[in-house]
Amino acid sequence: MTVQQTETARTIGKEDAKIFAQNIRRVYQIKSKDGGGITEFEAIRKLDLEVRAGEFFTIVGPSGCGKSTFLDMVAGLAKPSSGEVFIDGKLITGPALDRGIVLQGYALFPWRTVRKNVEFGLEVKKIPQKDRNEISQRFIELVGLKNFEDRYPHELSGGMKQRVAIARALAYDPEVLLMDEPFAAVDAQTRETLQEELLRIWEETKKTIIFITHGIDEAVFLSDRVAVMTANPGTIKEVVTINLPRPRHGIRSSAEFGWVRHKIWELLQNEQDGGGRPALPDQDVAAAISTTAAL
Amino acid sequence: MRILRKLLTEKTAILAFVLLWEVVTRLGLVNQIFIPPFSKVVAAMWFLIQNGYLVKHTLISLERALGGFLLAAVIAIPLGLLMGGWFRRIQLVLNPLFEIAAQANPFILFHIVILFLGIGELAKVSIIAWICIWPILFNTAAGVRNVDSVLLRAAQSFGLNRRQLFFKVILPASAPAIFTGLRVSAGYSFFLLIAAEMMGSSSGLGWLILYSQENYNIQWIFAGATMIAILGLTMDTILQIIERRTVVWENGATDALR
Amino acid sequence: MKKYEAVVDRFLRYSGLVAFFVLWEAAPRLGWADPQFLPPLSAVLQSIYWLAVDGELYSHLIVSLWRALVGLMLAALVALPLGFILGARCPETARHLDPLFRLLSQVNPFSLAPVFMLCFGIGEISKLMTIALVALWPILFHTITGVRMVDPLLVKTARSLTVTRGVMVSEVLLPGAFPTIISGFRVATQMTVFMLIAAEMLGAAAGLGWLVHNSAMLSQIPRMYAGGAFIILLGIIINQILLKVERESMFWRECPGPVTDEVVRSLSGKTRSLYVAAFACAFAFVLICGSQEVRRVNIQGLHSDKTASHQHNHGGLVGPLRSD
Repeated sequence: MTVQQTETARTIGKEDAKIFAQNIRRVYQIKSKDGGGITEFEAIRKLDLEVRAGEFFTIVGPSGCGKSTFLDMVAGLAKPSSGEVFIDGKLITGPALDRGIVLQGYALFPWRTVRKNVEFGLEVKKIPQKDRNEISQRFIELVGLKNFEDRYPHELSGGMKQRVAIARALAYDPEVLLMDEPFAAVDAQTRETLQEELLRIWEETKKTIIFITHGIDEAVFLSDRVAVMTANPGTIKEVVTINLPRPRHGIRSSAEFGWVRHKIWELLQNEQDGGGRPALPDQDVAAAISTTAAL
Repeated sequence: MRILRKLLTEKTAILAFVLLWEVVTRLGLVNQIFIPPFSKVVAAMWFLIQNGYLVKHTLISLERALGGFLLAAVIAIPLGLLMGGWFRRIQLVLNPLFEIAAQANPFILFHIVILFLGIGELAKVSIIAWICIWPILFNTAAGVRNVDSVLLRAAQSFGLNRRQLFFKVILPASAPAIFTGLRVSAGYSFFLLIAAEMMGSSSGLGWLILYSQENYNIQWIFAGATMIAILGLTMDTILQIIERRTVVWENGATDALR
Repeated sequence: MKKYEAVVDRFLRYSGLVAFFVLWEAAPRLGWADPQFLPPLSAVLQSIYWLAVDGELYSHLIVSLWRALVGLMLAALVALPLGFILGARCPETARHLDPLFRLLSQVNPFSLAPVFMLCFGIGEISKLMTIALVALWPILFHTITGVRMVDPLLVKTARSLTVTRGVMVSEVLLPGAFPTIISGFRVATQMTVFMLIAAEMLGAAAGLGWLVHNSAMLSQIPRMYAGGAFIILLGIIINQILLKVERESMFWRECPGPVTDEVVRSLSGKTRSLYVAAFACAFAFVLICGSQEVRRVNIQGLHSDKTASHQHNHGGLVGPLRSD
């Protein structure tokens, strides 16, 4: 990466992008099974992306296309092999409290009550106890969990747990909310409720949201723009602007919704037919990723 | 870096430890009277092997440990299968008794067993068996109890009779738990046998160590201790291998619970 | 019908124990067993009573407890930090060290007991080292496993919140690994009690193990049974306490049930801190009184039975047991 490129990135980033990713590449080294040989697996290749402030931006793609890895990079939890990610024109070098993350498996601290979970980020920020209570109460109510403050996660349903996770990520007031398939583990009906609530929360709090999913329906329903990612290697095929009017309650049955949905479906479908390189066995990739993560 | 990691394969940690032991003692950082260098321990082992001491006493100890262990397995596995499965009432009666019996300190029992059986081989073997029974029994019972009920319903839908259900579903499904119990027991058996041999015996590795101590022969003590450690490790490894061969589907999950 | 079954179940649960005790009492009295070898339960209880009255029981009990506790603490002092460092900071190193640890954990502390005696003398230190060596491995292995089994998503979440290393350990790793660590302590304690009794039988001037051994040598069979019964009772109590702590500490691991308004909560915060305080007091008591008693016993041992200590020097083997 040359200095010049970095400079241009900065200027673009400063002017109109909240999050700006440039020429991201991620390579995993995989030990082949038969011996000491090491092959390279390119998880992400030449990924460029910009997300505007206050935007609801969704990345949709097949499993294993590297979308979660990319989100980790934005969160500062993983580093690209080459390329850079900027927030407000500043290079992301590690995690910080200007980005909140919501993960698929809830990731609630099981030994903390709902309130204590929501307050976790505030504790890290060293906000005094009194303000902490006030803030956590506000966000618990925002996600509709009043009267559940003193429950433990194992006493909640999946949908409620995910609400707690959202409240926790919002409580320390990050500018960007990163959501990694947050609704994948809840049942269909709860998912739709959560989607509508997320939109309400987004409109109330005016956060920038980057949302990862493999559900086309979900992506279209929620987003301003949808980036379609392809696998092997992972890169962005097309960014589709969703010009559906808001609020979107009941929009799923409309013809426009169906049309946009079909368009994205086709983009993903072509990819699968098109083949590309044969995928590596899942297990190897997973093993390689986990060892890299351990380092 | 890659070469370094390759070098650091399984056994290097052990080799490094042995090397450290040798160097530290040779340089006199530790008094050689207390901890002899590894090479001298190996020499002592070689000497003991040549004059037949080590082999003889190892075989005696192994015989006792294996005898007790096998006796325990023969008693505990069927009992555990019965307890975990069908006779809930019997289990209710026996469970508190077993819980207490499992806590019963083997060395206390040793003294009592000696009263009844005298101080022969039978006392030692039965005390080892007593120690080994409980982990096998509890693990087997728990394994049977925790067989996935979905699995059972699926099997019943195939119209299996009780016998088939037992041999085709319950037994394989509880095998991992049984093996966990066996491994725990094997560890216990060796651990406590040494103490038992020190307490009342005139043969076996435990006695050999005690005898070396009485003659202030530190090198022999270390030789015996090394032999015991190797034997214990071998037993554990053998059970692990058997486990992997028979319980291929478990993916070493029991390993994490060691 | 259900109520009836519950009553039957409860009856059955205790019937086995009751039958056992009745049999114990009846067998020697009815001549099914030689009362010389198996004294009836009442005789054993009586000798427990006498031991308790003349203060001998307290002395042996506190000495044994002190040894077990200090040995466990020594082991924990090494194993816990090491386990955390290996489990959290350098899992690769832990993986490489695993074979070595497995080998070392097989080193029987009894085989090294003679070496400890040569290094540290036959005093308390060699006994404590023996016990600590037994307790070290279960605690270490469980700590490493526990730390490594903490949900990686939680670690990831905490990292995204830029927590410091200290907060990561105290708020994420420690609570996450706690139940596993406690079960390591339970295993360690059980082994410790086993080994402690054996160590006391092999060479000591006091302690419950010595009590049993000494009674056996003097052919005071009821006294031997009394000591044995007391050790077993002690083992059960300690095990039950640790099981309770283990279950309490993993209340959050229970499988998720349906959400109801009624929340089944284990202990409230207040009762929990009460329990913790009680534990701390008991620990302090054992530590302080135990160390005094141990010192007293050891000094007495030096003065009163020189012959016995001479014998202990040679492994503590006593004549009749070696006659096979």
